Amino acid sequence: MSHAHTQLPDDERIKSRSRLREALIRPELGGIVGTIVVFALFAVFAFDSGMFKSQGIMNWSQVSAQFMIIAVGACLLMIAGEFDLSVGSMIGFSGMMIAMFSVTLGWPVWLAILVTFVLALAIGALNGFIVVRTGLPSFIVTLASLFILRGFTIYFPQTIERKTIIGGVSEVAQGDWLAAVFGGKILTGLFTWLGNAGLIATFDRGLRKGQPVVDGVPMLIVWALVLVVIGHIVLTRTRFGNWIFASGGDAQAARYAGVPVNRVKISMFMFTAFCATVFATCQVMEFGSAGADRGLLKEFEAIIAVVIGGALLTGGYGSVIGAALGALIFGVVQQGLFFAGVESSLFRVFLGVILLCAVILNTYVRRLITGER
Amino acid sequence: MTSLMKHLALAAVVAAAPLMAATTASAEGEKYILVSHAPDSDSWWNTIKNGLALAGKQMDVQVEYRNPPTGDLADMARIIEQAAASHPTGIITTLADYDVLSGPIRNAVDSGIDVVIINSGTPQQARDLGALMYVGQPEYDAGLAAGQRAKADGVKSFLCVNHYISSPSSTERCQGFADGLGVELGNQMIDSGQDPSEIKNKVLAYLSANPDTDAVLTLGPTSADPTIQALEENGMAGDIYFGTFDLGEEIVKAIKAGIINWGIDQQPFLQAYLPVVVMTNYHRYGVLPGNNINSGPGFVTADGLEMVEKFAGEYR
Amino acid sequence: MNPHAPIIQMKNIEKHFGSVIALAGVSLEVFPGECHCLLGDNGAGKSTFIKTMSGVHKPTKGEILFEGKPLHFDRPRDAINAGIATVYQDLAMIPLMSVSRNFFMGNEPLRKVGPLKFFDHEHANSVTMEEMRRMGINLRGPDQAVGTLSGGERQTVAIARAVHFGAKVLILDEPTSALGVRQTANVLSTIDKVRKQGIAVVFITHNVRHAMAVADRFTVLNRGKTLGTAQRGQITPEELQDLMAGGQELVELEGSLGGTV
Repeated sequence: MSHAHTQLPDDERIKSRSRLREALIRPELGGIVGTIVVFALFAVFAFDSGMFKSQGIMNWSQVSAQFMIIAVGACLLMIAGEFDLSVGSMIGFSGMMIAMFSVTLGWPVWLAILVTFVLALAIGALNGFIVVRTGLPSFIVTLASLFILRGFTIYFPQTIERKTIIGGVSEVAQGDWLAAVFGGKILTGLFTWLGNAGLIATFDRGLRKGQPVVDGVPMLIVWALVLVVIGHIVLTRTRFGNWIFASGGDAQAARYAGVPVNRVKISMFMFTAFCATVFATCQVMEFGSAGADRGLLKEFEAIIAVVIGGALLTGGYGSVIGAALGALIFGVVQQGLFFAGVESSLFRVFLGVILLCAVILNTYVRRLITGER
Repeated sequence: MTSLMKHLALAAVVAAAPLMAATTASAEGEKYILVSHAPDSDSWWNTIKNGLALAGKQMDVQVEYRNPPTGDLADMARIIEQAAASHPTGIITTLADYDVLSGPIRNAVDSGIDVVIINSGTPQQARDLGALMYVGQPEYDAGLAAGQRAKADGVKSFLCVNHYISSPSSTERCQGFADGLGVELGNQMIDSGQDPSEIKNKVLAYLSANPDTDAVLTLGPTSADPTIQALEENGMAGDIYFGTFDLGEEIVKAIKAGIINWGIDQQPFLQAYLPVVVMTNYHRYGVLPGNNINSGPGFVTADGLEMVEKFAGEYR
Repeated sequence: MNPHAPIIQMKNIEKHFGSVIALAGVSLEVFPGECHCLLGDNGAGKSTFIKTMSGVHKPTKGEILFEGKPLHFDRPRDAINAGIATVYQDLAMIPLMSVSRNFFMGNEPLRKVGPLKFFDHEHANSVTMEEMRRMGINLRGPDQAVGTLSGGERQTVAIARAVHFGAKVLILDEPTSALGVRQTANVLSTIDKVRKQGIAVVFITHNVRHAMAVADRFTVLNRGKTLGTAQRGQITPEELQDLMAGGQELVELEGSLGGTV
């Protein structure tokens, strides 16, 4: 064997594959197929229910965008080999902090938001630090944070304000530049024009008679798209992205190759906390109040979206685009079932079926790609 | 590739099954959507669901019940937006948080959908949002009715055990009761806290300091249950006049045993049933009651207990 | 630099884990272009020794001289930067990642776009394909996942990676222990190629026949101590086998097994 081949014969055991098959076999396949199936189904069963008119589209887009924001964080963290179960509690906590700082303490809203982000990043870093230092499963560590953060979210407003919902954020956020970055709307001119041109519905009565029912694209959706694009580029096109894959694929092997695995994992925990806080800030700015029960169970919804999108629960494999499609499917199904008039308690049945189908398909695709047996 | 296609086809069929079942069940005509703030786990709302279904059947209209699975009010706002986008004939919704829900509700009203507010919120807030009416139990009025009833029974002084003093509606209940009796509330209301043994001891302390108190009013199972224990301990059970808001297992037992004279039921059944009936008639014949409807207070005494026990969890 | 000087010298290395003495004074020197085979039974201290050499463990006592200068590694990264690369048996590659991502793991090529730096996939892919071709591995594409490669191919990719990134000393931890006959032959021929490029190879194994096939010198470890170093041709496979087992028992065992071990 020591005489090296100069001209390598094609290995007869490697079957040639068609171009189409090559294009199809990718981690996002489950998400792409699911999206097509879901939209096709609702186009058939809920077309004239208003689901595909401006108000309906805005409705499921906003719900999907919410899922996307937390799914991007959960996706990168999961690829890096860890979980964060405290996402939902972090949403409640961050929202409550913004409301407490701005309403109760009377700080300017921009300062309240910035301080909350710093606080959230610190908590994310602490989660990550405990995980990499103790070597405990992140499942357990962040389960503890889930309870701790939720506890504080109830405790602070109840002891200080004697209530669990803090309102009045809209009033103090009037004209605040940073609040507009999270709660504002863009392209309002376009939508007014669309309304005037009769292309989208307008209000029939009340003070806003004649104005379009959808008056702009909420910043929530802009944030979702920006985070998806940034997440995708970082994961696939940067050195750090390669480190994320490596840290989740095999942390020890990555360490031996010189990848700073601990730093990667901690920064992914921080990013997840960042995404949760973006979610919370958009929500508080849109609805004008923070409640102690905001974000309940959102961590699971994020993880479900990521898994529908083709990521591997054990890490090292996945796609941000897939996770975004998973979030889209999640949002469209959740709201679409209402449009289709399905009994709402069946939502979970439906979700379970989709989750199972997506995971079966994803596992099949992944085995083709990675040669797992 | 064929095996891949098979997976996809299978997925599509399984996913489509519940949808098809749903669309065949729907009928033409009026459609009303009830949106509540209760999480799936809250069994109290089962009465609401049943009341809604019964009204839908009796009026021959389509009804749907929706709620945020975890009770997250921000999710509830999205559900109201969704309900509005599907253009039903009317929306029936609770108003658990004015800040969060007022925007979506006003949008629904402005896009031509009639809205009835039930259960939570106030008649004033319902009017501000342009809702047709409010169906619920205004806390002050309920307290007032209870006070008038107690006055007729000869009560002149009372103790209000308030376990949720931070909530304005709890205080309204006590104030209404005092006004019904025609006395000052003064220090007849105590802040009992939520801890059962603490509540019990505070009640015992108050009654030994004020032995000539005629009546006790509790605001729900949280304060009623320890108060029953306190009265059994100091021997006043069955002797002192005892009324309570809301029903619960211990409360029903105590009514049966003659310890509690009456329980105030806000009758959630009516909060779902009446809006459907009212709106259907409004949309069919243009008739609308001229005012809000109080679903409560309904007084449950030992006499009416049979029905309560029979339909508990279903319609009561 | 003198080509006849050892590139790395390990002098009286001791490593204690609490009360356990894993290495009790091991010395070893490796020359450029030499394949130095480190033999020993399970538990002899081979793994601890190479982990000390590659910067994973710090020696409790003893000295490491690299190109004649004393060296202290705080992290594995320091050893890699110095030119000491280690290929671990199971941890060489990440199966879920593509060959090209694995190849450049920890050494990602960057391309600048304005102030931003991106992973240069084009460069990475072409280098990977080229290196794989040189090592005799037929890839479907640079994005083929390592999981689809055989065990021998994975070891070869790992060795090629270490060589590409300028390893002067290549430590191979039992690269052949889990492989079939043909794959073993492939890996051994890869070792031979690497040695001929002037790289010092430290080859860890407990298989005497694999050692005899490529090694220039043999060092046998037993119970944390060196039993001596022998030149190729100065020692027979049987003698090596006995040294590894640390004495007479194996001779008796071998008799009962009909000389097959």
